Amino acid sequence: MEQSGNVKTILECRNVSKEFDAYDKSGKTEVLRDISFSVKENEFLVLFGPGQCGKTTLINVLAGLESATSGEVIENGKKVTKPAPERGVVYQKTALFPWLSVMGNVEFGPRVRGQDKKTRRETAKHYIDLVGLSGFEKSYPSQLSGGMRQRVGIARAYCNQPEIMLMDEPFGHLDAQTRYMMEEELQRIWQSEKRTVIFVTNNIEEALFLADRIILLTNCPSCIKKEYIIDMPHPRSYVDPKFLSYRQEITENMDKSL
Amino acid sequence: MSLKKFVDKNISIIMTVLAFASLLIVWELVSRFTKAGLFLPPASLILEKFILSFKEPIGKYTMLTHIGVSLYRVGVAFGLSTVFGIALGVSMGYSKLAEAILKPIFEFIRPIPPLAWIPMSILWFGLGDKSKFFIIFLGCFCFITVNTYEGTKNVDKTLIGAARMLGASERQVFFDIVLPSSVPYIFAGLQIAVTAGWSAVVGAEMVHSNEGVGWLIVMGMTYGKTVQIMVGMLAIGLVGFVLATGMAKLERRLCAWNNQGM
Repeated sequence: MEQSGNVKTILECRNVSKEFDAYDKSGKTEVLRDISFSVKENEFLVLFGPGQCGKTTLINVLAGLESATSGEVIENGKKVTKPAPERGVVYQKTALFPWLSVMGNVEFGPRVRGQDKKTRRETAKHYIDLVGLSGFEKSYPSQLSGGMRQRVGIARAYCNQPEIMLMDEPFGHLDAQTRYMMEEELQRIWQSEKRTVIFVTNNIEEALFLADRIILLTNCPSCIKKEYIIDMPHPRSYVDPKFLSYRQEITENMDKSL
Repeated sequence: MSLKKFVDKNISIIMTVLAFASLLIVWELVSRFTKAGLFLPPASLILEKFILSFKEPIGKYTMLTHIGVSLYRVGVAFGLSTVFGIALGVSMGYSKLAEAILKPIFEFIRPIPPLAWIPMSILWFGLGDKSKFFIIFLGCFCFITVNTYEGTKNVDKTLIGAARMLGASERQVFFDIVLPSSVPYIFAGLQIAVTAGWSAVVGAEMVHSNEGVGWLIVMGMTYGKTVQIMVGMLAIGLVGFVLATGMAKLERRLCAWNNQGM
């Protein structure tokens, strides 16, 4: 296992490129170009880039849901080839199972992996409480608000005890106010139970509010433009001068072309 | 004030009752005061005979037995078609190979109406209940298959991905994701099928029978008994209405999760 300093590297993305067949089959559309980075244990890494730049594709490749055209993803020394519970995904459109209650959704991972009912219920309850949904165990997703559904999604990913969490613009569909609140909530949850997180967003404020490190991606095809270590204590303020200077610096480097 | 509240609350029930009442009144007036009365017995007579038929037998049996026997035939056939329809629909929806093999055959058989099968059905299954099961089965089967097929085909791929990421095996993906998410589709199919099966009962009972609501009509036709025909039609309509309403209630209960923003 690769070590750097005394912090373990959890996941490594090595020269990943991805091409799709064009719609008219006339050629290839390049989506990701030569993407390499690594994530350390309990690091909160944000992949920040414009909309439609292939971020979801990158998350799917990291998850093992799609394969890269070239390059590879290594998790704890093993190559990622297919979906596996070591990597938890939180989806933009929540992807909750609508026929299951909140409890049913959160305990799904441990259940299909054969954990006994008592243990998994206790774990699930712990995470439902952690995301602030105590009392909603029996509700169905259709009865919850957008923010609450996303909390269920986070609890479901946490409850399966993954080594790394992949979050694909989880707050992208929420209104601005709920979004701020969920960012604070996620920060609180992450502080109380640290996990390795790769978080994808197109929102600079969100990126700066959450990240230990930000990787700036360019437009399609995506490649890595620059990397920023965000050295600010939590909880952060959106109007802190340091926050604003980071913001200015990153914005200046963003790809302005369409 | 309280009357207004009562009306507001029960508006749809009141409307249903009013609609039925107007239909009966118009029917009654038309048959009593126009020449159409020659071909249309008055509603009151049909209702009277219908109620009477629960006490006095038509043929060998009273109405309750006729309805009971028909329900039994539809029940057996509907049960069988549910099992086979869901099995076929799921396999065509889930497996590309099964789809390639079975879908064309299914699409070929689908447009043949159940009634067209009567001669072959007698040849294969004889004159007893078996051939009636077969006719009604054909009436239900296609609806259940098509809906189940659509349901399994339209499963949200993201949900399958999410389940795999959480550690579900292929088998678990099938039983925990594909099946439950098809349930609303399957139920829609069952709802259409139960009505279709109940309608097919007339055709099925054309095949040599001594009882059943379909028999009432077939016999009425043979002997020119208009009132008996209409009593049979009333029974079919009424039971069909009860079945459809019951299925809708059951669906609302079983697929509660599917009713967005209850």
